[in-house]
Amino acid sequence: MKDKLSKEEVYHVANLARISLTDEEVKKYQIQLKQILDDVEKINNVKGYDDDILIACWEENTSLRKDEIGEMLNPKEVLENAPHHSGNYIAVPIVINGGEGA
Amino acid sequence: MKYLDKKIEEIHKLLKEKKIKPIDLVEEAFQNIENSDCNSYITLNKEEARNVAKELEKIEVEDNLLFGLPIAIKDNIVTKGLRTTCASHILDNFIPIYDATVIEKIKKNHMIIIGKTNMDEFAMGSSSRTSYFGAPTNPWNKEKISGGSSGGSASTISARDVLFALGSDTGGSIRQPASYTGIVGMKPTYGRISRYGLIAFASSLDQIGPMTKNVYENALLLNILVGKDEKDLTSVNREEEDFTRFIGKNIKGLKIGVPNYFMSDIVSKDIKNKVKEIIKVLEENGATVDFIDIKYLENAVTLYQIIAMGEASSNLARFDGIRYGHSIKDPKDIDDLYFRTRSEGFGEEVKRRIMVGSYLLSGENAKIYYNKALSIRDDMRKEFKNAFQKYDLLIGPTTTTTAYNLSDSMDDPLKSFLDDVLVNPVNMAGLPGLNLPIGFDKEHMPIGMQIIGNSFEEAKIYQLAAFLEKKLKLELDPNRGEKNV
Repeated sequence: MKDKLSKEEVYHVANLARISLTDEEVKKYQIQLKQILDDVEKINNVKGYDDDILIACWEENTSLRKDEIGEMLNPKEVLENAPHHSGNYIAVPIVINGGEGA
Repeated sequence: MKYLDKKIEEIHKLLKEKKIKPIDLVEEAFQNIENSDCNSYITLNKEEARNVAKELEKIEVEDNLLFGLPIAIKDNIVTKGLRTTCASHILDNFIPIYDATVIEKIKKNHMIIIGKTNMDEFAMGSSSRTSYFGAPTNPWNKEKISGGSSGGSASTISARDVLFALGSDTGGSIRQPASYTGIVGMKPTYGRISRYGLIAFASSLDQIGPMTKNVYENALLLNILVGKDEKDLTSVNREEEDFTRFIGKNIKGLKIGVPNYFMSDIVSKDIKNKVKEIIKVLEENGATVDFIDIKYLENAVTLYQIIAMGEASSNLARFDGIRYGHSIKDPKDIDDLYFRTRSEGFGEEVKRRIMVGSYLLSGENAKIYYNKALSIRDDMRKEFKNAFQKYDLLIGPTTTTTAYNLSDSMDDPLKSFLDDVLVNPVNMAGLPGLNLPIGFDKEHMPIGMQIIGNSFEEAKIYQLAAFLEKKLKLELDPNRGEKNV
């Protein structure tokens, strides 16, 4: 069994996680991620009773609420928490190519 | 004069008779924090705490033992107007615009928030050393960790800075640091306490809980935290109860189980011997103790890795540099904003866990790993359910070793998971679990015992814990006795 992930594999998971990595980090994570993933692999040796899965601990106790407008946050305060905002909008860089910059 | 060293009833009487004011307690707490110097806090709430204390002078002291008492809050619970960082660079300037439900309850009960405690970044870790703000230290020996992730809450209670703190527990993050620092920490049943305003790590496991120096005060604080909340539909509607009601009762006839795995070779001799002494005390006082097998306990860490990292990768997707928190300057495009913001903002452990989690949930992997883990998790819960048909409570060590050195290597990415091997199963099954200090090792570092109850049976846990606390009469103030022997 190999003892580390390839660089491509690390870039793949970093891409899934939307994280960019330095070369140093890639080297470290090649080994560390492999160690964790090998450990996680143990799950496939565990034999369960049945295929039931646990989504919520106390399903009998959970409930739905009515879809009604309740207490809301103040939009001005919400906007002030955004690093880039303008007027009543949160500003983000251009998302679709070909338009003018934000 | 140190008022916070007194019994809670005495402090309350002094407040009621106007011999002291809440501001005296606040000033004493800030002085204590400075003196103990354990890096327990990320942010102190000095000005606001003093204002609140002054405001409280204008109202009648209620028949509420918690009135006017300072409390420390783990820094992953949002506090309106008070910086909440999750010990991360990505939130190091984040000022929440609302209060968590538990914070509303604390304010309604006229407790005074003294500050936000240090922790592992996003509660990911077992030693609080992944904090962007440096690790808190253990008041019993400042070379040692205070555990994690609620390390700051544990160290400030252990040092006797304040009487009360909140922690959160996803895989042991209240009980394990409580064990390392010699305090009482309760992870209540999943759903007991609203998670609204607790910055999510692994939503199906996370639970807020009280951390205190003794059992009675722990139950008192739990009394005001619980209840159904419309803002967290996993919170559970239960009849109101007083969690202190069995404290003082004897333990005659209690049936107690000790899972064999908890006393296996993974646990240090010192700790096992201490637990064996406790088992003797229990038997001498009319309880029956059986060693029992609970299947799947040895798989809890694997389940935790899959479920907690998977859920974390999804929960932490919200930190994108757009709505709040750290954001890079001059992004080229939206991807550049996401990638560089998250790379700069998150620390090493958090990045590692998000990457593994993203991988485990991607494509077919979700079925291979996450669904399989949920299935074994269900089996484990059934095992516990069976055990609780026969036993009132389960006990065992909280940790496999006592607190280790701050300088120990952090290179092994599996180490932080293994530290929590005995506390993980309780989160998996959604059960309540409490750490009770039961003694010290050769270096005079605290040893803790975990008491696990059936769902919603916290009161029974407190009954046993209070009984043992009274029997053992340990000196648990590191400022006194044989400190640092």
